Amino acid sequence: MLTSNRKTKEKVFFIGIGALTILIFIPLFHIIATVLIKGFPVIAERGTKFLTGTLSEGGIGPAIAGTFILTFLSALLGLPVAFLVGVYAYEYPKSTLGQWTKTLLQIMIEFPTILVGVFVMQVVAVPMGTYSALAGALALAIILTPYVAVYTHEALREIPSTYREAGFSLGLTRAKVVFRILAPMAKRGILTGILIGMAKVAGETAPLLFTAGGLYESYPSSVTKPVGAVPLLIYQLVQSPNPVDHATAWGASLVLLAIFLGIFIPIRLSLKEVRL
Amino acid sequence: MNFAIETVNLNVYYGQNHVIKGVDLKIPNRGVFALMGPSGCGKSTMLRTFNRLIELNEGARVDGEVRLFGENIYSGDVDPIEVRKRVGMVFQYPNPFPHLTIYDNVAIGLKLNGLVKSKEELDERVEWALKKAALWDEVKDRLNDYPGNLSGGQRQRLVIARALAMKPEVLLMDEPTANIDPVGTAKIEELLLELKEDYTIVLVTHSPAQAARVADHVAFLYLGELIEVGPARKVFENPEHELTEKYVTGALG
Amino acid sequence: MRKVESFKVATYPAVIIVFLLFAGMLFVYFTNALPALHRYGLDLYLENVWRAAEEPSEEVYGIAAAIWGSIYTSIIAILIALPLSVAYSVFVVDYAPKRLKNAFIILSDIMAGLPTIIYGIWGAFFLVPFLRDWIMKPLYDHLSFIPLFSYPPVGGYSYLSAGVLLAIMVTPFASAIIREAYNMVPFTYREAIYSLGATRYEATKILLGYIKPAIISGTILAFGRAVGETVAVSLVIGNTFNLTTALFAPGYTVSSLIANQFGNAFIYEYMTSTLFAAGLILFVIGLAVNVVGLKMLKRWERDVNI
Repeated sequence: MLTSNRKTKEKVFFIGIGALTILIFIPLFHIIATVLIKGFPVIAERGTKFLTGTLSEGGIGPAIAGTFILTFLSALLGLPVAFLVGVYAYEYPKSTLGQWTKTLLQIMIEFPTILVGVFVMQVVAVPMGTYSALAGALALAIILTPYVAVYTHEALREIPSTYREAGFSLGLTRAKVVFRILAPMAKRGILTGILIGMAKVAGETAPLLFTAGGLYESYPSSVTKPVGAVPLLIYQLVQSPNPVDHATAWGASLVLLAIFLGIFIPIRLSLKEVRL
Repeated sequence: MNFAIETVNLNVYYGQNHVIKGVDLKIPNRGVFALMGPSGCGKSTMLRTFNRLIELNEGARVDGEVRLFGENIYSGDVDPIEVRKRVGMVFQYPNPFPHLTIYDNVAIGLKLNGLVKSKEELDERVEWALKKAALWDEVKDRLNDYPGNLSGGQRQRLVIARALAMKPEVLLMDEPTANIDPVGTAKIEELLLELKEDYTIVLVTHSPAQAARVADHVAFLYLGELIEVGPARKVFENPEHELTEKYVTGALG
Repeated sequence: MRKVESFKVATYPAVIIVFLLFAGMLFVYFTNALPALHRYGLDLYLENVWRAAEEPSEEVYGIAAAIWGSIYTSIIAILIALPLSVAYSVFVVDYAPKRLKNAFIILSDIMAGLPTIIYGIWGAFFLVPFLRDWIMKPLYDHLSFIPLFSYPPVGGYSYLSAGVLLAIMVTPFASAIIREAYNMVPFTYREAIYSLGATRYEATKILLGYIKPAIISGTILAFGRAVGETVAVSLVIGNTFNLTTALFAPGYTVSSLIANQFGNAFIYEYMTSTLFAAGLILFVIGLAVNVVGLKMLKRWERDVNI
């Protein structure tokens, strides 16, 4: 009797956790399906004009351009710093500053992104007297940096210490061992971090609210002038009472989803193959 | 002054652990000097004091002197980088850099240290080092391949070539055959016998048999202390210390 | 005496930049919050009042409702996310065949990385009406005598909607931490438990006890994420000052307050400073939560490795 009771319990348990696990992913599938169903007809109807036209023409061209500009500009600003910080944290794991650096990076990853946006507004946009691509990119760079730094750190840490020893045993300086031997060895992991960081910031909205400004009726012309972004545009359109704006928002969401999955899935699928 | 390496009251600590305890050791110039002992006796740690590689361990502290051809490498004005250029090292796990070609693996130390002036000189030196490491004939047609396809023994000889290319005065070897098959091991031991004509080789091994096969002098280390040192023949045939006798006859670890 | 390593020359500036940025943020929030803190004192955080006026002497602000909203919605999110994450971790580690396991992990990663605005648009256009019609209305119709369900769900924009949306968004974060911890349990422990004749259910119960610190820190970190989330929440919460436990009432969170009000705050004398003070409290909550969560996780990982 006792054993059959235990067996029933076991079954109920299995079905229970299986059901809860599946429940987690239902929203994801529903979101993807909804974005496809609502976004695809919009794009199909408006054609390439949707991807290249201005907002009054029913398109999100300037926003797409803005997202690319912001993403690459933020990479330009953030990557060197991120790489060097990640390398530092790897090289001095036990020093006080090294420990603090690692903790700070973790905290920055978890940090509310809206706070970064408001901060950059105060120190860049306010003195400049205008929203700008530069301010938006700087906010995104601050968000990008800890991701890339942590990935760099992890990628370096996966290299067996014997290669580090080998480098030093050749009479090389620390800089040469790390930058000329270990970093190239960890190339893939570092690159993965860079792409994940860029995929992340390409989808950010909050940090752009008070920094990028928005530009949807013409293509951006200068980094010191306001610029739009796809997520920022969606945020504004969702709040509009006009159903046409909602349609545009769904179309834009599909574009954003495609950009995100386009970067994210290939990386994520290839991750397993990272091997030394 | 005919000692390649000489330690004076050498002590190493990892945090609270005292792992090398006041060792005085004299390693003569030229020939193979084997540091042997059971695992955990401190022989690998000691080897790493000879090129200051021990400093990669943030917790390690070295006390006493290590003299390289008479010069204390732990005195304040000595740059560990310069020491390491003079002392080559081969590791327990054959570790050619997997992302570099066979050629670049041998060339990298010279290139990054800026020790050669021309491409021709570099080519020559790479060829010389590979020949010295008895690997040239096996790889001369595929210098631009990556070391991934080499056998364990070949990889280890590639690492030896990498170290030799720097023209070191001393070659440290940390159990170089521990991860190599018997055929590869035999080749490397053969190579040691050739190299010892020109170099001082310090070989760490946990196998008394290997020490007996290749070494001219041996030192027996146990729990961080130097138990016995002397010409190989004497230590193996007529050990002074009971522990040494137990070890060489296989009664100990 | 010793020459400076070129490695340090290269990396120190970057490290210093990052630390300066962080210190700079704290400084900017603090100095900009001072005028409001000076004028309203702690009432700024303890009172629920939002009176904007062109005449500075008539301006009064207290963001208690927004602070409450941040905490309340995050707690709702955690209450939903925690059991889901634990179930997921056990299922993926113990039961799922390898391929399915990988698929689940990839899906979870996608959910974690998905642009939050996409959660936002889906939340605003699907989740809010769905919850209103299928959850809030029935509960209100039959159980409105319970204070939690007492607010009439008119629009559906509410604490509940925000909490549920946040739950969906933070589950993958909590899941990742808990799954990793559960996966790290040394194999000999599992062996030992099964060798005693335990069923999987019984074994799981014991093993979950073993990773309790990791579960707690995963929860804390997920809470931190939820507190900081901005745009998705601001699209579903209704953006109204409402200091209440009623789940169906519209509300505010600190971050959605900043997102909503900052744009035109410069019109008023004290509103910008008030919003910086709001940011400061978010900063402090975020910092405290993350430091505690990360410390706990690290300590646990160290203990396991020993």
